[in-house]
Amino acid sequence: MGEQFVLLISASIFCVGTAGFVIRKNPLIMFMSVELMLNSVNFLLVSYSSFLNSLDGQIFALMIMTVAAAEVVVGLAIILTIFRTRHDMDVDHIDVLKG
Amino acid sequence: MFASSWLILLFPLLGFIGLSWFGSRISEKLAGLVGCGTVGASFFMTLVTLSNLLFLPPEERVGHVQTLYQWVSAGSLKLDLAILVDPLSVFMFLIVTGVGFVIHVYSVGYMHDDPEYSRFFAYLNLFIFSMLVLVAAADFFFLIVGWALVGLASYLLIGFWREKTSAVLAARKAFVMNVIGDVGMVIAAFVIFESFGTLSFIDVFAAAPGMFRPNDDTMLLITLLLLVGAFAKSAQLPLHTWLPDAMEGPTPVSALIHAATMVTAGVYLIARCHVLYELAPYTMYFIAGVGIITAVFAGSMALVQYDIKRVIAYSTMSQLGYMFMAVGIGVYSMGMFHLMTHAFFKALLFLAAGSVIHSLDGEQDIRKMGGLQNVMPLTHATFLIGALALAGFPLTSGYFSKEAIILSSYHAEMGNIVFWAIAVLTAGMTAFYIFRVYFYTFVGGLRSPGAHPHESPGIMVIPLVVLAGLALLGGLLGPWVDSFLAPVFGRVVEHHHNSVLEAIALTAGIGGIAAAGLLYMVSKDRMDLLKEAMAPLYDLLFHKYYVDEIYDFLIVRPTKAIGVFMEQKGEREGIDFTVDQVGLKVKEVSHGISLWQSGKVRAYALNMVVGMVTILLFVVFM
Repeated sequence: MGEQFVLLISASIFCVGTAGFVIRKNPLIMFMSVELMLNSVNFLLVSYSSFLNSLDGQIFALMIMTVAAAEVVVGLAIILTIFRTRHDMDVDHIDVLKG
Repeated sequence: MFASSWLILLFPLLGFIGLSWFGSRISEKLAGLVGCGTVGASFFMTLVTLSNLLFLPPEERVGHVQTLYQWVSAGSLKLDLAILVDPLSVFMFLIVTGVGFVIHVYSVGYMHDDPEYSRFFAYLNLFIFSMLVLVAAADFFFLIVGWALVGLASYLLIGFWREKTSAVLAARKAFVMNVIGDVGMVIAAFVIFESFGTLSFIDVFAAAPGMFRPNDDTMLLITLLLLVGAFAKSAQLPLHTWLPDAMEGPTPVSALIHAATMVTAGVYLIARCHVLYELAPYTMYFIAGVGIITAVFAGSMALVQYDIKRVIAYSTMSQLGYMFMAVGIGVYSMGMFHLMTHAFFKALLFLAAGSVIHSLDGEQDIRKMGGLQNVMPLTHATFLIGALALAGFPLTSGYFSKEAIILSSYHAEMGNIVFWAIAVLTAGMTAFYIFRVYFYTFVGGLRSPGAHPHESPGIMVIPLVVLAGLALLGGLLGPWVDSFLAPVFGRVVEHHHNSVLEAIALTAGIGGIAAAGLLYMVSKDRMDLLKEAMAPLYDLLFHKYYVDEIYDFLIVRPTKAIGVFMEQKGEREGIDFTVDQVGLKVKEVSHGISLWQSGKVRAYALNMVVGMVTILLFVVFM
């Protein structure tokens, strides 16, 4: 696998994640899109770790996964609470903080 | 020597503080006792100081400054809490505390049963304290402090019956008029400090003759500015309109403040600053001129008024005019002597009038009085003595003091025949109007059917008798006053004798009494004929030369119009409009910006993506 191929894959996954986050209205799907973006970066980090013969990239990837896991915990909790109180999962309807 | 003299000021101050703090919790009797006691103690201390002063040889009696406390010391400005003890200040102490004490005692009876009895005595004590500060001041700063404080006390006392609109308005008028004078005094003090570098009387008066020639601009400026204060306080033209209105206050207040003490402050000021005034002979002429014009002007207004207190108030203005003329032509001790006798007989007249008003339940119109000589024998006798003294009847105190001034108005260096003629004319008017009041009030039959007049209680009559004694015999003090005050003025005043002029002046006085008697006793029907014959003149006098109306037209209404204009155009359409518009615009703009915060997560995300892509493109391609 060449460098160019890795970069292309990573960029494509990131764009898919971004598009999913902007387009979808279900917060769970939006969450998954965020994970997709994070993982595209992880993929890049791990690949370059192997190309450059350095462990730095893998360490960063591990840290990102940890943070993502923590974030998911918090995020899911928020989503659950919103669902319990509003019985509505459309993010466009959740605009209490409108200016 | 005079280490305890400051106690003179302390007692009334303590009385004021005590009565203000505990006034509502103590009985009427105790409040009266405190009010009178403090002034009595003050009078006693004045006598002690006087005796100390008399032990000194005359030339050593001047210039004793007792410094109590160094208050301000900033650069060349030094202000000490100090009192000046010299014959002039002790002379004023004696009048203020002596007459003040008598009037306090009278007030115990007069204000009996007033719901705010202790407040009245608190104010009276404040006034006595303020007046003592004024005359004890050793520099121009504390002179102005006292000057303003008496104005405040006068304001509080004129408006004492605060539920009475006319009293409140009169108090306000008096205060505004006096503040005009205060401003003049303050500017005068600035000029003095600028030219002498000090405010202390002794230093200024010592330096002035060496620094300025007579009629130097600075001297004229200082003396004229001080004069604004003196004229306002002493109700001289053209700042006189507050004094008649001030009669809305309780009668003891009129007697104490608006006859015996405060209004004479202007005369005291000129006497105190005589060193400066002698360096400004033009100002002296001006003082004498205004004084004598005020005398005849006020005297003529008093001829036709029907309010017993107003007549006496105009008479006060008129007598103050005499005093101003006396100090204006340089016979200071005669002015001060007339100040003293005037304090006696004018306080007496006011208190006797108060006694009449008291017994008629507040009636002040002399047309509704009459025949009181049988019902109120003591009030009648004392009023008669006061009236005789005011008219300058021979051997009463007023005779000695007024006759001396009238003679000097011709014989003194700065006197002339015009001053003399007006002075004599005024003397005739004085005798006429006061006996007009006398005949209206005490002779004939009572013209107020429902009233039951009665003699006033002893506590009011005794002060009347004391003052009557002083008004009768005070004239004997004349030579003593001249020699006592001579060290202050640097010379013994010269008395002249001219039997022709004396006879004419005396005839004017007695003629006035006789004319009043003739007109109001013998042929009453003539009075109406005379009134009709002189209708225009009568109207002019009755409306006080329309001075109030002129002031209203020239000053009050334009000021009000400017106020209304500024309120509508300046305030509402100018300031308010601008501020409102700025606020509205800010609100509009911020509302537009706040639309960006839609609360929609996806919109935020899209914005973020677009932003990041833009930055990325920028970084890559630029």
